[in-house]
Amino acid sequence: MRKVIYIGIVIALCWFAEDCARAAELHVPQNAVAGQPLSIGTSGSGTLYLIGPGQVIKRDFKSGGTVEIKGEELRSAGRWIAAIRGDSNLSQVFWVKPGKPGKLNFLARPSRVPVARPNVISGVTFVFDQYQNLILDPTPVNFNLSVGGAGSTKTVTSHDGVAWINSASAPKAGAAQFVASVDGTTVTRVVQQVAADPCERSFRMHVAGHDANRLIVETDPIRDCSGNPVPDGTIVTFIQTDKSGKSTVDARIKKGTARAELPASDNATITMAAGVVLGNELHVGGK
Amino acid sequence: MKLARMLILTVDVLLAISGAVPLLKHILADTKPSVQLEVKNAQPREVEDVTQNAIVRDYTLAWQAITTALANNSLQPLNDNFAGFALDKLTQRVKDQKQNGLTTRIVDHGHKVEAIFYSPDGAAIELKDTASIETQVLDGGTVIHSDQAQIQYYAVMTGAEDRWKVRVLQSVAK
Repeated sequence: MRKVIYIGIVIALCWFAEDCARAAELHVPQNAVAGQPLSIGTSGSGTLYLIGPGQVIKRDFKSGGTVEIKGEELRSAGRWIAAIRGDSNLSQVFWVKPGKPGKLNFLARPSRVPVARPNVISGVTFVFDQYQNLILDPTPVNFNLSVGGAGSTKTVTSHDGVAWINSASAPKAGAAQFVASVDGTTVTRVVQQVAADPCERSFRMHVAGHDANRLIVETDPIRDCSGNPVPDGTIVTFIQTDKSGKSTVDARIKKGTARAELPASDNATITMAAGVVLGNELHVGGK
Repeated sequence: MKLARMLILTVDVLLAISGAVPLLKHILADTKPSVQLEVKNAQPREVEDVTQNAIVRDYTLAWQAITTALANNSLQPLNDNFAGFALDKLTQRVKDQKQNGLTTRIVDHGHKVEAIFYSPDGAAIELKDTASIETQVLDGGTVIHSDQAQIQYYAVMTGAEDRWKVRVLQSVAK
């Protein structure tokens, strides 16, 4: 009886040892990179599942060996799970790092800004590899802001995947090219730099004509303090005050000047304003 | 006789508990995960109180959406809470899972989130999240992987029409 039990135990042990020898093994890489080929060592036979943050890869394998994953298949960086179903079931976690910089997400604000203002333009860049994985390693990002060929460049090293700058607007009006670049990857945004408020020193009007019923006043060419013409369409308010009361006309700047027709008066004071800027004061008629 | 009754009662109670536990687990899996947000290190702009509340609300919803989407292989929860690269990736994951007959069960034990970047114009915020997550991958009804881990995520959220949406969600090795 003892002999039979002994033989039985030996057979069971052999069976177990044989099963262990056939059992699948799983060797996942420690330094996988998105976009680069990957080899996973297995033994036995079964199905390998690679479950990543943005994809699942499935491979059947027989007689062990390595399962090869092409670079273009391995797209997502982050935490992956390798799981085998077959002769035995195994699973392991491994990590895939992002590849080289290949895409930039560039937010430039605002799209329209007055000239010659400090820290009004912000540029924020998130750095990605070509498979849209955020690159968390520090990466130098070049920012260039220029209008009409003149501009400034600044290099900022990204931290936690983001690089940002605050910049002053240039003194010259026009469409500024705001460019962010990393390793030959370039993204351009246009920031329209427009004239600031009219300059009080040169914001002046004069009488352009009159007849029995009306008085025409017109401004000189309206410019900001950097000499840029204030954009057409900006509203200038003319206010005429006389003994009969107050007349107000809102006129838009057209071809650089604003013009208004006011009621004729033998003694009136005319003022004008654009936003918070006041122009000169005119007295018409009277003695 | 009395002993037999007690034994039957005990067995009944144990059976009831064994049935209730998976049900309770399932219910808990569908509840909102806890999200604690810390904003004191956010640069270059300070995070407003209203924004903090909105981020906690919407990041919580985003994780709830991931849990539901990966468990049921459904895309709708993702569309409401994700945009851009994060939406592309999670959509692909759900499609691949469906194609290969897999599902992923996530039991979310909570998130400790730190705001690390808040853009000067207030349009984008970057978060660093230490998440306690239990993951089970199922092939049909069979669990092929199971683990519980603290995982670090980087998330970028941007303001959308009526909420903040997750644009980037990436796990990194600690």
